[in-house]
Amino acid sequence: MTRAGGWLVVVAALTLPLWLQSPYHLHVAIMAGIFAVLAMSLNLLLGYTGQLSLGHAAFFGIGAYTSALLTLKLEWSFWPALAAAISLAGAAGFLIGRLALKLRGAYFVLVTISFAGVISLVSINWIELTNGPLGLPGVPAPQLGPWSLRAKTAYYYLVLAAVALSYVVCRRLVRSRFGRALVALRENEPLAESVGVDVTHYLVLAAVVSAGMAGLGGSLYAHYTRFVSPEVFLFTYTVTMVIMVVAGGKGTLAGPLVGAVLFTVLPEALRAAASWQWQMLAYGVLLILLVFFLPRGIVPRLVASFPARR
Amino acid sequence: MAELLQHLLNGLVLGGTYALLGIGLTLIFGLMNVVNFAHGEFYTLGAYLAFAALALAGLDFFVALAAAIVAGAAVGWLCEITLLRPLRNESIDTTMLVMIGVWIAMQNAELLVWGGVAKSIPHPFPTAPLVLGPVAIAPLRLFVLVLAAGLIAASWLLIQKTKLGRAMRATFQDRDTAALMGVGIGRIHAATFAFGSGLAAAAGALLGPVFLVYPSMGDLASLKAFSVVILGGLGNLPGATLGGLLLGIAEELGAGYISSGYRDAVGFVIIILVLLFRPSGLFARQERIA
Amino acid sequence: MNRRSIVLLALVLVALGALTVPGESQAPIKIGVIEPLSGPVAASGNYVRMGAEIARDWLNAKGGIGGRKIDLLIEDNKSDPKEAASAAEKLIVRDKVPAIMGAWGSSMTLAAMPKLEEYGVPMVVETSSAASITKRGNPWIFRISPPSEMEALGLAQYVDKLGVKRVDFLAVNTDWGRGSITAFGDMLKKKGAAVGVAEFMEQSATDMNAQITKIKATGGDTLFLTTAVEQITLVMKQAQEQRLTRKIVTTGGSSSPTQLIKQAGAAAEGSYHIVFFMPWFPESMPDGKLAKAFVDEWAKRGHPFEGLTEGFRGHDGIATIAEAIRVAGKDDPKAVQEALWKVSLMGVNGPIKFEKDGPAGKESGQSKPSIFVVQIRDGKVALPDFLAKK
Repeated sequence: MTRAGGWLVVVAALTLPLWLQSPYHLHVAIMAGIFAVLAMSLNLLLGYTGQLSLGHAAFFGIGAYTSALLTLKLEWSFWPALAAAISLAGAAGFLIGRLALKLRGAYFVLVTISFAGVISLVSINWIELTNGPLGLPGVPAPQLGPWSLRAKTAYYYLVLAAVALSYVVCRRLVRSRFGRALVALRENEPLAESVGVDVTHYLVLAAVVSAGMAGLGGSLYAHYTRFVSPEVFLFTYTVTMVIMVVAGGKGTLAGPLVGAVLFTVLPEALRAAASWQWQMLAYGVLLILLVFFLPRGIVPRLVASFPARR
Repeated sequence: MAELLQHLLNGLVLGGTYALLGIGLTLIFGLMNVVNFAHGEFYTLGAYLAFAALALAGLDFFVALAAAIVAGAAVGWLCEITLLRPLRNESIDTTMLVMIGVWIAMQNAELLVWGGVAKSIPHPFPTAPLVLGPVAIAPLRLFVLVLAAGLIAASWLLIQKTKLGRAMRATFQDRDTAALMGVGIGRIHAATFAFGSGLAAAAGALLGPVFLVYPSMGDLASLKAFSVVILGGLGNLPGATLGGLLLGIAEELGAGYISSGYRDAVGFVIIILVLLFRPSGLFARQERIA
Repeated sequence: MNRRSIVLLALVLVALGALTVPGESQAPIKIGVIEPLSGPVAASGNYVRMGAEIARDWLNAKGGIGGRKIDLLIEDNKSDPKEAASAAEKLIVRDKVPAIMGAWGSSMTLAAMPKLEEYGVPMVVETSSAASITKRGNPWIFRISPPSEMEALGLAQYVDKLGVKRVDFLAVNTDWGRGSITAFGDMLKKKGAAVGVAEFMEQSATDMNAQITKIKATGGDTLFLTTAVEQITLVMKQAQEQRLTRKIVTTGGSSSPTQLIKQAGAAAEGSYHIVFFMPWFPESMPDGKLAKAFVDEWAKRGHPFEGLTEGFRGHDGIATIAEAIRVAGKDDPKAVQEALWKVSLMGVNGPIKFEKDGPAGKESGQSKPSIFVVQIRDGKVALPDFLAKK
């Protein structure tokens, strides 16, 4: 994308609450932002290491529950709870990363699904900790010093900051030696190993950062919707993230952002456009069509159409 | 002791259908390398077709089953040639995404057509259970077990003994050589997907009368099928069969002796353990190259 | 400007003009409805929707409210709390509804509740059973369905007649199932019954043989079953296969006994069911005429009979909201909320009137619905044997 285009997007994002007056639209923007963080986190694994984690909702959920429980039961303030959420999710990512030492491809996929499945069942059945299916209502809104961030506009900027931070982290990683090693891993693992790339180390690092970022998304989600229940571990959340990354363009920096915005706005647009019987059917058909015409995703196609000027 | 035997018997019946689902998916996922999230939807399709044939058209049970299998295979074949073939050179994630779309579209189409109310499929068997010593089994379930075993055996025969089966195995072992030897790659892919989908539909048609038929019944089935594929090793038919039986029995025992709330966790934990210690599956002969 | 732009501009102006033509008195009254219309409980959500539509049509046939027709804006919450919250936001902000009915499942309702407080819009809860919904201090919640505790109290008077001594529980692993076990367990213990095991099943589980085998081994005399009708069917069939011989009592009102008879057949014989509507003998309902009319209208529309035990909730919810709007005199959310405290109407289930529930100063409204027990005898739904007239 051209530099001017990039700056235009940034300015638009910064001034969004000014020209999007309706709180409903702001709500959609906030959800899009949260999912952008999630999509970027999944992209690190999926797009850059080539490993498909289909249990990503587990990290999202761990982040959400950690943040919610610490602020509700132990009355922590939002910021340390957020840090704890990121850390715990990251730790879970470490576990998965170590597992990946032995497994690749289809096997890794299934371990991640199973992991998410087990965590989901724990959240439903370990009532004393998570309140089980009744969930945790009344999660407090974050405070920044004397100001409450409960209002939509304020929360939007919080989410925007998280999106920007995640983007910068991803970009730094991808453009560093770490990123190059990841690409080597993805393209040809035995070769990468033979030239001394410490495959293990990089996979684990990718998993930790990816999981921690998903935990960030989870915490943001918990404090916005102010209700956390085992449904956060639902497979549909993972599927949504996957759709956003792959349709947006995996392995690109902008892809997950585009995917997140598109696939947050789309269901809401369908809500307005179609009566409830047709919404999800239309969603499925549109997805098929999108993949069919843009198999590499949206961003790669855009990049191909607008080659950068030298 | 009686309780244990009952659990084992229940697990066997369930496992037979898991095996059917697993065999179909191990071919599609293991050989074609397609992450087929819509596999459970073919299962659901089979069940709804059996419902239509039995409850609406009043056909014979066996005819209904055959119709379900044929329809499942036909829709699968259609899927392959319209959606998967053009995307064959794309990455695994792209084909996965398209199958996610198919999954969402099929499930919601079924919701639209049949409504959300669960349907019950009438069957000709008596409801009084057969008592075999300390255990009891409903005649319908016995029938399901026998038929599942028959279909599994037929699948083995097809893959091992027929020309089509040989062509399939050749294609997936080494596509280019197979092509050089005159195998129509496109046809084989379509046939494999159709075959796998037909088996899933068969599982649905068999289990439909045992349980109930509703649009989201395929979601759990998909997940179980993936577990079975992993247990048995990708592309490994005998492995998928044994894996299916094992999963059914393990679930029953886990739910019976550990905790019913964590029943599905048993499957997950098994997968994790298997993958940690025997990554190529319990029954695979070669070690998978990382 | 060229000719084409002038024509386009003219069309746009005409369209804009057309949009502003309808006068205030013609604008319909919008009521939001949030239900699970897809996903695993799509059947129930749709039944509620069908009942709501009957209420809307009846009211409109009588001229609507204050001369204005009622328009139902129906949203699907896809059994996902996040969707329930989004749907509420959209209905309130974009569609500006003065009131909502929803959201069926307790987690969906709980997820939408912060939105109600944020914007100050009341919601009538028609199905959710979690006690916490009315105890959280949300003054915008008005519930017409009974929480599990109320349901258990409704059964208390029959416990001795039922002859319950040792009870086991089998429930779906959701807030509803768990809440039911707690509520009924407490009630039964107070009545001197012994509580055995509590087993669970996942919402999508189809094979409960393991749980049944365990229950069989406890030697109890009654099994309390809480789940949706599909799973009840499966449990009954599997219990029959395993030759489980004991009384079965289903709770929660979602057992749809007619569907059970059809799908479980002889396996359902003798079972008791707590329901909140008796479409088999509507004349026995508090307002027999209304109940009968509802049953007839439902049949006229070709809806399945088994859906009545849930569909009436949709009717009563919309009727309550409509009555509140009538009392308030305008479709403003705050006015409707205040009016809800004053309404007293007759629904299909019985009288609806809200009492304060929850922390002082921020009470929610809870009505006291009527609770009934029926039994399946000789392949038909009948009054339970302990109540049958000699």
